[in-house]
Amino acid sequence: MKCMLCDRETVSELCAYHEGAKRKVETGYRLWAEAYGGMKWKDYLDKVKRNEQTGRWAKEIAEMLEGL
Amino acid sequence: MTLGSSSLAPATSGYTLIICEKPDAARRIAEALSGGSAQGSTVDGVTVFRFTSQEEDVVVCSAQGHVYAISDPFEDRAVYPVFDVEWYPSNLVEERNNSAARRIGVIRKLADGAAKFVNACDFDVEGETIGFNVLRYACGGKEMEALRAEFSTLTRNDVVAAFEQAKPQAGQGLARAGRARHLVDFVWGINFSRALSQSVLNLGQRHGTISMGRVQGPTLAFLVGREIEIREFVPLPFWKVSGTFERDGTHFTAGYSKERVKPKTTAEKVRDDCVGKEGVATSVVRSLVQVPPPPPFSTGDLQREGYRSLGFSPSRTLQIAERLYLKALISYPRTGSQLLPPSINYRAILEGLQRLDRYSKAARNLLGGALSPAKGTKLDPAHPAIHPTGEVPRGHLNPPETAVFDLIVRRFFAAFGPPARRELVTVRLSVGGHEFVLSGGMTLYQGWIDSYGRYASVKDMGMPNVAEGDRFRVVRLDVEEKFEQGPSRYNQSSLLEKMERENIGTKTTRSEIISTLVKRGYVEGSSMRVTDLGLAVIETMEKYAPAIVTTKLTREIEERLEEVEDEAWRDAELVRETVRSVANQLVGLNANEDEVGREIDAGLIAADTASRVLGSCPACKSGQLRMIRSKKTKKRFVGCSNYSRGCRASAPLPQRGIIRTTSKVCSHCSWPIVYVMGGRTPWRLCVNPKCSAKDERIKT
Repeated sequence: MKCMLCDRETVSELCAYHEGAKRKVETGYRLWAEAYGGMKWKDYLDKVKRNEQTGRWAKEIAEMLEGL
Repeated sequence: MTLGSSSLAPATSGYTLIICEKPDAARRIAEALSGGSAQGSTVDGVTVFRFTSQEEDVVVCSAQGHVYAISDPFEDRAVYPVFDVEWYPSNLVEERNNSAARRIGVIRKLADGAAKFVNACDFDVEGETIGFNVLRYACGGKEMEALRAEFSTLTRNDVVAAFEQAKPQAGQGLARAGRARHLVDFVWGINFSRALSQSVLNLGQRHGTISMGRVQGPTLAFLVGREIEIREFVPLPFWKVSGTFERDGTHFTAGYSKERVKPKTTAEKVRDDCVGKEGVATSVVRSLVQVPPPPPFSTGDLQREGYRSLGFSPSRTLQIAERLYLKALISYPRTGSQLLPPSINYRAILEGLQRLDRYSKAARNLLGGALSPAKGTKLDPAHPAIHPTGEVPRGHLNPPETAVFDLIVRRFFAAFGPPARRELVTVRLSVGGHEFVLSGGMTLYQGWIDSYGRYASVKDMGMPNVAEGDRFRVVRLDVEEKFEQGPSRYNQSSLLEKMERENIGTKTTRSEIISTLVKRGYVEGSSMRVTDLGLAVIETMEKYAPAIVTTKLTREIEERLEEVEDEAWRDAELVRETVRSVANQLVGLNANEDEVGREIDAGLIAADTASRVLGSCPACKSGQLRMIRSKKTKKRFVGCSNYSRGCRASAPLPQRGIIRTTSKVCSHCSWPIVYVMGGRTPWRLCVNPKCSAKDERIKT
């Protein structure tokens, strides 16, 4: 099967690269919430998606998670 | 001038044939040895110089770089594995190298009448290989009896001295190592490149050159590793607290002692604790530091400094430096040395440079004192660090040549300069129970910085005039939200440094390998962004032939090549080992040929698609503007990927030149900006034909 976000062949929904990015986005939430003293999941995804420093795959993951 | 040491039997009949690496070097050497009397004549389109020196007839001719190259005997480019390889005239290997046949023909004819041979190619691995091959194949096996002239500059004095001291077989170790390197790299490159290219072609898919060289693989793997980190990166927030303080009408800005503060509430608490309070300078530490002069340039140093201060790619800087060497203005630029031995005659070089107006003052100042240059830790037994020869440019230097020459001269001056002296001050302020730090620095004595001029990167930051116990009014406190920076991409300079650190490639090949990565479409832009193709190639290799893209194997071979030079390892053994490694790794690629082809083809398609995407569509906000070629008119234009859903955003594009995406948008209309490369200089274009900025420009 193909990765949901790119054309790479994969055995699960996401390719290894997007899986890696997904882990980073999920781990980041706890750290962001701690830093801001609390934050909603959707707000976090929105901020990550819009941040200039966020990597391309992490942005794609944030957009995907936002749509779920 | 007598050619060679006196112990060698002089030629009884026939002339001495001097083999040079390049035509410009041949002219310089002929001029130097003949005292300017050498006559150049053209034989089959190749310039040959003849003169008589101390009753000895001398003929000087030249190759043009490598006139012999390694190849396989198969005409079919799809054949692999290939282990049966041999040296052939370059014109039989490289389609565009027709001049090699003419040069080889002329050298063959000249060799017939020669009684003595001198190899005067550049004294390094490549030069030794070129000279060895010409002497072996074009001169009928004269590589062992030929004399070797070793020189680091093409100035008259150095060339004459080199020929007087010419020795037999001086560079055989280098030649052996050079030939082994070519063989190993060819066997490596041809097999993996053909295996990868063929796997794509077998699918009946698009064609592209998919190359995979011995050093290229691990270098691309560095870039891919960093690219993955960048693409996965999620920045973490932090806060920066800074305060503006005032004393006697003077304002200072000091940062909170902890540069990154989190959580946000802590940063806000620092601010709230300090507002309305008074600050006290609890400590003022002043220190004097000496900044030593930089060492003279090795090849890598020059390439990095050329990139940093002139914006030239490493390969461009080296090409320009080679031209300056052939004009006898600088020493041989392919060197690992950061040392200037006294034998180069510092004083004579400075006296020579003194004749040029722009250097006369700096040279005069240095000549007034003792001359002891700074030195680095790197040594190269073959050549000193890159330095000017003291010769004055005789002809016109173009602007890039002038720039690189100036950089080399200034660095040479700087190496002789005294250390600079700087005063650094750190003031600690206590405010509301928190500590703020104010730093400053000032150059008290310029020393070598004066000589290095605009290339010096030491900057003054201003010095706060503060004493312990001084009190300050808090004017303002700022809490600024910041985000961690993602990992930085390699640029050509930092990649070169990484390759040096990992000990892969040579000072000659590293910059060429970086250029090849760009040429193959594996990376793009000055920030060396890895394309989907580059990613796919490394991903595939890691899966099916992992050893090929690791540094370990490449570095081991590099170390053994150095041993071949010292005769500790026999070249035949190294080649046999390489063949074994290549054959082993090819097994994985062969067994999975279809998979390999599909994965790389996906990378080719993704890279091709990405190169056509110009940016987001400002009209529908969800589509992408892409470069499309009309099937009907064959003209290219911009269209939205949401055309089928009704978005009609489109724009014409220039029909000539190469169009490159920039990932930048127009600040006036938010349409993408592209680079159009055609004509003399590339230009930026907002693709929106109705952009308001264009109207403004027309009105102006």
